[in-house]
Amino acid sequence: MRFIADFHVHSHYSRATSKDMCPEGIWKWAQLKGVRVIGTGDFTHPKWLKELDEKLEPGGDGLFTLRKEYQTGDVPVSCRTDVRFILSAEISCIYSKNGKTRKIHSIILAPDFAGAARINLALSKIGNLLSDGRPILGLDAKELLKITLDKSPEAMLIPAHAWTPHFSVFGAASGFDAMEECFEELTPHIHAIETGLSSDPLMNWRLSALDRLTLVSNSDAHSAAKIGREANILDTDLSYPSIIESIKTRKGFLGTIEFFPEEGKYHYDGHRDCGVSLTPKETIHHGHLCPVCNRKVTIGVMHRVEKLADRDHGFRLEGAPSFTSIIPLPEIIAEGLKCGVNTKKVESLYFPLLEKLGSEFTILLESPLDDIERASTPLIREAVTRMRTGNVHIAPGYDGEFGKIRIFGDVERKEIKGQLKLL
Amino acid sequence: MDPRETQIFDGLNEAQKAAVTTTAGPVLVIAGPGTGKTLTMVRRIVYLVHQGVQPESILAVTFTNRAAREMKERTAALLGQSAGAVFIGTFHLLGLLIIQDNRSDDFSICDRDEQIELLKPLVGGSARKARQVAGHISRIKNYLEPDNPSSLTVFGGGRDGVDADQRELYNAYQAALRERNAFDFDDLILKPLEILVDSRIAQSYRDRYRFLIIDEYQDINPAQYRLLRLITNARNNICAVGDPDQAIYAFRGADIGNFLNFEKDFPDAARITLSENFRSTGTILQASNALIRNNVKRIDKMLFTLREQGAQIAVIDAPDDRAEVEFIIREIEMRMGGTSHLQMRKNTAERDYAGASFRFSDFAVIYRTNAQAKALEDAFSASGIPYQVLGCRSGTKSREIEETIAYLHSLIHAGEAGDPRETSGREAKLLSPADFFDPRADTVMLMTMHMAKGLEFPVVFITGVDEGLLPCTIIKEDVDREEERRLFYVGMTRAKNDLFLIHARSRFLYGQRLAPMPSPYLGAFPESLVDKTVIPDRTRKQEEKDRQMGLF
Repeated sequence: MRFIADFHVHSHYSRATSKDMCPEGIWKWAQLKGVRVIGTGDFTHPKWLKELDEKLEPGGDGLFTLRKEYQTGDVPVSCRTDVRFILSAEISCIYSKNGKTRKIHSIILAPDFAGAARINLALSKIGNLLSDGRPILGLDAKELLKITLDKSPEAMLIPAHAWTPHFSVFGAASGFDAMEECFEELTPHIHAIETGLSSDPLMNWRLSALDRLTLVSNSDAHSAAKIGREANILDTDLSYPSIIESIKTRKGFLGTIEFFPEEGKYHYDGHRDCGVSLTPKETIHHGHLCPVCNRKVTIGVMHRVEKLADRDHGFRLEGAPSFTSIIPLPEIIAEGLKCGVNTKKVESLYFPLLEKLGSEFTILLESPLDDIERASTPLIREAVTRMRTGNVHIAPGYDGEFGKIRIFGDVERKEIKGQLKLL
Repeated sequence: MDPRETQIFDGLNEAQKAAVTTTAGPVLVIAGPGTGKTLTMVRRIVYLVHQGVQPESILAVTFTNRAAREMKERTAALLGQSAGAVFIGTFHLLGLLIIQDNRSDDFSICDRDEQIELLKPLVGGSARKARQVAGHISRIKNYLEPDNPSSLTVFGGGRDGVDADQRELYNAYQAALRERNAFDFDDLILKPLEILVDSRIAQSYRDRYRFLIIDEYQDINPAQYRLLRLITNARNNICAVGDPDQAIYAFRGADIGNFLNFEKDFPDAARITLSENFRSTGTILQASNALIRNNVKRIDKMLFTLREQGAQIAVIDAPDDRAEVEFIIREIEMRMGGTSHLQMRKNTAERDYAGASFRFSDFAVIYRTNAQAKALEDAFSASGIPYQVLGCRSGTKSREIEETIAYLHSLIHAGEAGDPRETSGREAKLLSPADFFDPRADTVMLMTMHMAKGLEFPVVFITGVDEGLLPCTIIKEDVDREEERRLFYVGMTRAKNDLFLIHARSRFLYGQRLAPMPSPYLGAFPESLVDKTVIPDRTRKQEEKDRQMGLF
C-alpha cells in the first residue's frame, strides 16, 4: 500500500512545543496533512509514554491507532484516514570525543511499548528523562546506538537532521566528518539519515559515502500544523517490520517529500544578528568572520556538503528513491493572496480547500490544477504550478533564519492578473 | 634498571618515589590535594609485588567504594591477575571479611533503608524520627564502646550522658538486629573488634597482612582506629596516607588526632610529604594555601605547582539564590556552546568557546549543606542539563524517579515474562546510591563539600559562600572553625582550571529568607588572585521577562 509517513515530531512535553501536540491533535493534523503513519515523538518521556499507553491501542504489527473515544477532532470527510502511530523519540547526545564537544541528535523508532520502556530504563540511569521530551544526555552517540539495539533489537536509530550546524552528525559546529568517526564499528547499524529541511537528496548524493544510506525526511514538528512539512512515501504493508525493512533495503521506499533546501534555516552561512547571509565562497573570502561584527559566522548546510562532497553538483545517484520539492500550502496561499502566512485570510481559504479537494498533500501533489483554481484563485493555481515545476525564487535561509519564498514578483503578479482578466 | 622498575617509577617525582619504596617499617605520607596520592599508593602496591611480596599479604583500605574501585582498576592495569589477590576495599569490606572468616551462620546485612524500617516501630512510626535516631546510634557505634553506651556523651546530642529512653531505644534496636541475625553497617566494624579480642585470631590477621596501606588516615574514626591497631603492631609495615588539612569527618567521629599522633603510635615512622600539586593552577593553589594557613591544628606544608598561574578566582556577588544557579547554568551553557537552539540564540553575544572540548562532567557545583541542594536541583532539572546529586537524591526527585522506574518495569513485564533483575549479594549492599547511575552517564555533578573529597573537576562552582554557611553557624553557633575552613579548602582544591565562589545577598534556606553577608573566608585571599563581579538586583522589567519566558 502506498502511504506517506512522518517519523519525527515532538509532544507537548518538549521545549517550545505547542499544546496541540497531544495524541488527539497529532491524529487530527496528520489527516489534514495527508500523513498515514506518524511518529509519536518523545517516547523517552515517562509521562508522554503513559499518555500514549492510555490513548493508543495496538493496530496490529507494531503500529498503533488512537482509541475511538479520543477521536474527537473535527476532520473533513475529504481528509479522513485511518492514522497509524509509530513509537519514536529524539535524543540529544552532548559529549566530548577526539578533543571536541559533540552534539548529536538521533531519532529512535521502537517496535513496541516494552522495547521503548527497556530503552527508557537504561537511559534513565544516564540522565533525566523527565525534564524535556527531547532529553539531553551526556552520552556518546555510539553508546546510545549500542543501548538501543541491546535493549530492543528491532529498534532503529537514525541520525536526525544530519547537516544542521549545531546538533547533528555532520554539523559544522559539533559534528563529525564521517559516520565512522561517530559510530565506529557500529556504523553498519546505521541504515538511514534524516536530511533535514536545509538539504535535499540532490545535495546528499554528492557524497559517495552516503550511497548505502536511505535518505529519510521528516517534519520535526513542534506544532500540529507543521506535521508533514517533510515526509516519506512508502509502498509496503502497514506494519512496523515492513516499514523498517523498507528503510533498510529501500524496497518499497519510493522517496521523500522535501522543502526546497533554500527555505531551510541553515542552507547558507551567515550571522543572523547582523542580517548577514553568505554563500560558502563568500564565507571563505571573509575568513569565516562576519563582515559586519567580525564574529565567527555560522557555517550552513550547503557549505558543509561542499566541504565533504566528492562529486559535483547535479550528480544523480542511479536507482536511488526520488524526491519531490514542495512549499507548504499556507505559504502558497499567502503568496497568492499577498498576505502573511499566519493570517485569518490564509486560514479562511486553507480549510475550505481541504474540504473540497482533500488533504494538503493531495492538493500539493495530485489535485488537477483546474480543481485547485475552482476552489481558490487563479493566482494560487499558478503558484501551485510553479511549485510543481520548481519555478520559484527563494532567498536562502541562514543562521536560524528561514529562507524567504517569492513565487511572484510584484510586476509579475500584476501581469498575471491582467492576463487572466483578458482570458 | 629492570625495565619493570622503570615502569613502576615512570612519571614519579622524588617524594613519590620515596613513598613507593619506603617499605620497611611504618611510614606516614602527608599528601596534599592533587599530589598524586592514588598514583603513589598504586605504584607502592606494584613495587611490593615486584619485590616478591605475596599479593595476599597486602591490605589497602580506602575511605569510599569509589576510591577502592579506582585503585583496583589502576592496580589491575599494572599487575594483571595477581592484583585480584590484593585486598583493596573499605573498612566495612574488611570488617565483613573478618566476620565471614569467623562465623559459619548465615547472617544478613541491614542497609540504611532496612535500618529505618527496623527503627520506625520503635519510635512510633515516624520515618523522620527513625532517621534521626539511626544517626545517633551510628555515632555511638563509631565513637566506640558499644557495650557501654552510657559512657558516651554524644547520645542525644547532650553532654549530660544518655537519658534512659535513649538507652532503651538503643537496646531495643540491637535486640531487633539480633533477632534477625543482622548487622548494620557500623556493626561491620564493631563485630570484628569483638572477634579480634581473641589474640590468636588478631595475630592471624597480623600474620596474613604484612603490608598495610591506609588511605585518608586523617578521617578514620575511633572504631576504625582500634580495628587497625588490632591488626598491626608497632613495627608493622603500615603506610598511613592522608592530609590533616582535609580532615572533615569529625561529625562522624573522625579524629584528626589519629593522624597527628601517628608518629607517637609508631615511633620509628618515616615521614614523607608530597607537596607538588599536579591538579590546580597557581592561582587556585595560592589562594587555598592562603586560606588554610590560618588553621592551627595542622602540619605545615607548602604546596607548589608547576602549572601556569591561570585565571583569577571569580568571586560572584549575586542578588539571590536563584541568580546564583542561573549564573552557573549560563556559564556551563557558554562553555558547552549551548545545549539547545533556544540557548544558542541567548548566547550569541557572550564569550566564544568555539573549538573548546567540554563535557558535562567537567563541571561541579559544590556546597556546604544538603539543604542547598534542592534549589540547585530544581534549576538544573528545569534547564535540561544532565546532572546528578552525588551521594543522595532529594526526596521528591528520587520518588519521581522510583515511580518512573516502577512504571517502566510494569510495561516491560506486560510485554514478556521473567524478572531480569539480578539478585544482590552481601557485598552489593555496601554500594552507595551513586552506584545507581550508569558509569557511562556524563553529567554535571552536584555535591556537598564532604562528598567532594578525592574528586577533581576542570571547573568548580562553590555556592553559598555566605556568612552563616561558611563557616556553617546557621544551625549551631559553636562549630569547629578549623574544620569549617578545611571543608572550604577541600571544596576549593577540587578545581583544576576555573574556580567560582558565589555569594547570594538573599537566600531562602531552612524555611526562611536570609540576607547574609559574604563569607569571612573570602578575606583570606590576596586581592591579586581574585576577580570580583557584582550582579545587580533584578529590575522589574527583568522579572516580567523571566515570567514570560516561563510561559514558553
